Amino acid sequence: MPDVSKMKKPDVKVVLLGDMHVGKTSLLHRYTERKFKDTTSTVGGAFFLKQWGPYNISIWDTAGREQFHGLGSMYCRGAAAVILTYDVTNWQSLSELEERFLSLTDTANHDCIYAIVGNKADLTDPKAQLSPNSDSFSEDQTDIVEDRTEPQVLSACPTPPASPTSLSGVVPRKQVSREDAMALYGRILRYKGLDEKSSLPADKMCFETSAKTGYNVDALFETLFDLVLPSILRKRHENHESPTVDLEDCRGSGKRVRSSCC
Amino acid sequence: MFILILFVCSNWDVIMDADTLQEGEEQPMRNCAPPSDSEAPVGILAPSLPLLRNHTTPEPTGRHDFVSVDEDQISSLDPSGDTKVELHSDAGPSSKLDSEETDSPSCQRSVSTPPSGREDVPTDPDQSDSGEFVVTMLAKAKLEEQGIGVKGRSSPLIEAGIQEASALASHRDEDVTADSWRQHRKHVFVLSEAGKPIYSRYGSEEALSSTMGVMMALVSFVQSGDNIIRSVYTEEHTVVFLQKGPLVLVCVSSSCQSEQQLRGELLYVYYQIISMLTQASISRIFEHKKNYDLRRLLAGSEKILDGLLNLVDSDPSFLLAAVHCLPLVSSLRDSLSQILQKAITPNLVFSILIAKNQLLTIVQEKTVIEDVRLEPADVHLLLNLIGASSAFQAGEIWTPICLPLFNPDCYFYAYISYLDPPECTVCLLLLSTDKEAFYAVAECKRKIEEAMTAQNSLSLIAKAQSYSVSQVGVSDLRHFMYKPFDVPDNYRQLTQFTSPEMEAPYCSDEEKMRLLDLYRYMHSRIHSTSRPLKLIYHVAEKETLLAWVTSKFELYTCFNPLVTKACAITAITKLLRWIKKEEDRLFIRYPPKYSTTPNPSKSSKSSKSEQQDSADNGLSLL
Ligand SMILES: Nc1nc2c(ncn2[C@@H]2O[C@H](COP(=O)(O)OP(=O)(O)OP(=O)(O)O)[C@@H](O)[C@H]2O)c(=O)[nH]1
Ligand SMILES: [Mg+2]
Repeated sequence: MPDVSKMKKPDVKVVLLGDMHVGKTSLLHRYTERKFKDTTSTVGGAFFLKQWGPYNISIWDTAGREQFHGLGSMYCRGAAAVILTYDVTNWQSLSELEERFLSLTDTANHDCIYAIVGNKADLTDPKAQLSPNSDSFSEDQTDIVEDRTEPQVLSACPTPPASPTSLSGVVPRKQVSREDAMALYGRILRYKGLDEKSSLPADKMCFETSAKTGYNVDALFETLFDLVLPSILRKRHENHESPTVDLEDCRGSGKRVRSSCC
Repeated sequence: MFILILFVCSNWDVIMDADTLQEGEEQPMRNCAPPSDSEAPVGILAPSLPLLRNHTTPEPTGRHDFVSVDEDQISSLDPSGDTKVELHSDAGPSSKLDSEETDSPSCQRSVSTPPSGREDVPTDPDQSDSGEFVVTMLAKAKLEEQGIGVKGRSSPLIEAGIQEASALASHRDEDVTADSWRQHRKHVFVLSEAGKPIYSRYGSEEALSSTMGVMMALVSFVQSGDNIIRSVYTEEHTVVFLQKGPLVLVCVSSSCQSEQQLRGELLYVYYQIISMLTQASISRIFEHKKNYDLRRLLAGSEKILDGLLNLVDSDPSFLLAAVHCLPLVSSLRDSLSQILQKAITPNLVFSILIAKNQLLTIVQEKTVIEDVRLEPADVHLLLNLIGASSAFQAGEIWTPICLPLFNPDCYFYAYISYLDPPECTVCLLLLSTDKEAFYAVAECKRKIEEAMTAQNSLSLIAKAQSYSVSQVGVSDLRHFMYKPFDVPDNYRQLTQFTSPEMEAPYCSDEEKMRLLDLYRYMHSRIHSTSRPLKLIYHVAEKETLLAWVTSKFELYTCFNPLVTKACAITAITKLLRWIKKEEDRLFIRYPPKYSTTPNPSKSSKSSKSEQQDSADNGLSLL
């Protein structure tokens, strides 16, 4: 596809959604700057450009605060992928995804893909406490998935605990199991009217990450980027006059900012 | 049955008095003039004013603490200056509340009677048993916060609060029972009319909910007599109340600031809240639901309010209600303005360039500037928002923001991006009235960036810095703040002030704060409502200050302690001459304009007419 480089670069929009304090900004920061540092609660939304091979991927880190709720659908407009983020130590943050955030994705692309991400895994999962050997993580995706299911089966906790705060207050309990997240994924597909068999499987699209240690973070973003690009190319070929061409134009000409972003 | 009880925190003990008592006598800084000097007309409010105070404070004799009430109906000060903890009630036997005896059975008795709800502070001013209610509230507050005044104790409630907030650093998880908590220079609380805690500068709102409940009880009680509580003076603290719509803001300060100044600061806090939510949506929320927990909407904004209060304490811009711009050779400032002027898109209304948290230049939409000007307070709120939200600076932020003085009911959309990553000192702020304009506005940034690269602007800006007072060439002058007023030809300009770097001996934070406090004192004298002054020459311990206000400017100067009055006057003449000479460098002189209104018939009011739109902007809640 040599013509791709001649035309305006395809843009993909990836949006991070989820309740405040679940770690969206930290995840993005870990991925783009390889660091975990202090954050302040995001206001509105923050736009980033990430170069992925020859493509520019725009990433919107949105505010989880209820104050900005009304803006969510704007940030989601035309999204090719939405990362629904929760905090594994906070059951409420998972249910918020369904109650508050799912409807915001109505403005996303029809072929938008969804990932459900349980962050702060370092707090509950010894495996996530170590800094990852990122190579082995991104090389074999299925391995990790199988790996990850094991501990949850042992400590299965499918029902929400009555009290959100553990009495000890020191070690937060895992409140959301991966099965809960996968069940939510199924409900999202149904909400979108998508057929489970022709869609991406739940165990591939449900992640547990730690922005703090970096566990699974690259795997998350890179899996999504890889999944999203073919659909963009397909769309480019099928349909040269995209209805969102005006936005694409603006974003396409945003190449100068790349150096300042990532 | 008229009872007014004040309980704020162990030694914030109080006596009532009326606002009018202050008039005619200069508002003293700390040791308030004895209200007993003045006649205290008896109003309907308080035939008897029982007082509540903590026994840990030494019994003062001839204390001159007072509460002032904003009304012609003036309450009397209990002449006995009773400082006992007993609560007198006409209706029934007095219930003894002793904060030291936390296990006091009488406490428990009082507590057992009221319902458990915390939001049940009466908002109905006609509630007949409000006196008793207050008593109950106090009893409850005492029990729940039994740790207060009792070192080393903490209630389960407080522990829970700490646990929950443990993830958040900052002052949120402070032990509200500790002495250190009480010793903060300035506490600020925000609560709803229903007494629900919304914000506390130190300590979690949960842990303080009963304290806030008591504050609200006080506000509503005074209200029930058709009065408005304005302030409470104690030996060590000034408590200032400000009610704005459904919100009540309270400041408890041990600083030397005047009530007026403290109220001004509370107003900034209110405006910052408005800047995030808009006034219209706050009213709408509370119209629907008096008991609404506004913390839900403000959750995550604490750092913005914390940041604001820290700025208010350390940056004289707030005191002067003026904007500080970075001194810049006028040709450079002009070229930056031109760059901004050229990078426009429909519905762009303000383009602002900021370096080191100071203004470089500001360009406004033509029709906007004709109608209204940007108020300094709005700029302060914007700068604070940027400061508080820029921890992760690489991205381009797009967020709704309301400029409360411009229009408290509608949102602008702010594009915020740093031009010099990773240092992140030069920030571009573009305000649009169009929610959907992100990509178009981001494109303006690319243009600006390109032009600035071409002109090497960034490295020129990097060299710009504040100036040293030594440049003025007046030997005894240590520091000054100069704020020119509107003059006919620059009417509608942003109010600005100029000030040199604080240098020795004002290097440490303590010394800087001390100088600011002196300025605040001078400011309060100049702006005293009862006896405003035009010129003050004040010999302090370690320096001499001179403040002067004319129809053209307001000036605060700080000299060596040994300066003579004559010398100081000469110095000021020299200083004014120097400022005049440097004017073009020190101030944004002629803010340029651009025209982006696509439809000429659409005036700047278009931004104001978007009010109905605000519902779907940030809030889809109600
Ligand atoms: N232990 C642990 N803490 C995390 C992790 N990710 C984020 N945090 C912490 O969680 C808090 C919130 O992180 P943010 O990244 O600001 O959360 P957010 O989702 O962007 O929040 P909003 O911007 O308000 O929507 C911060 O104190 C982080 O340090 C993680 O993987 N492990
Ligand atoms: Mg964030």
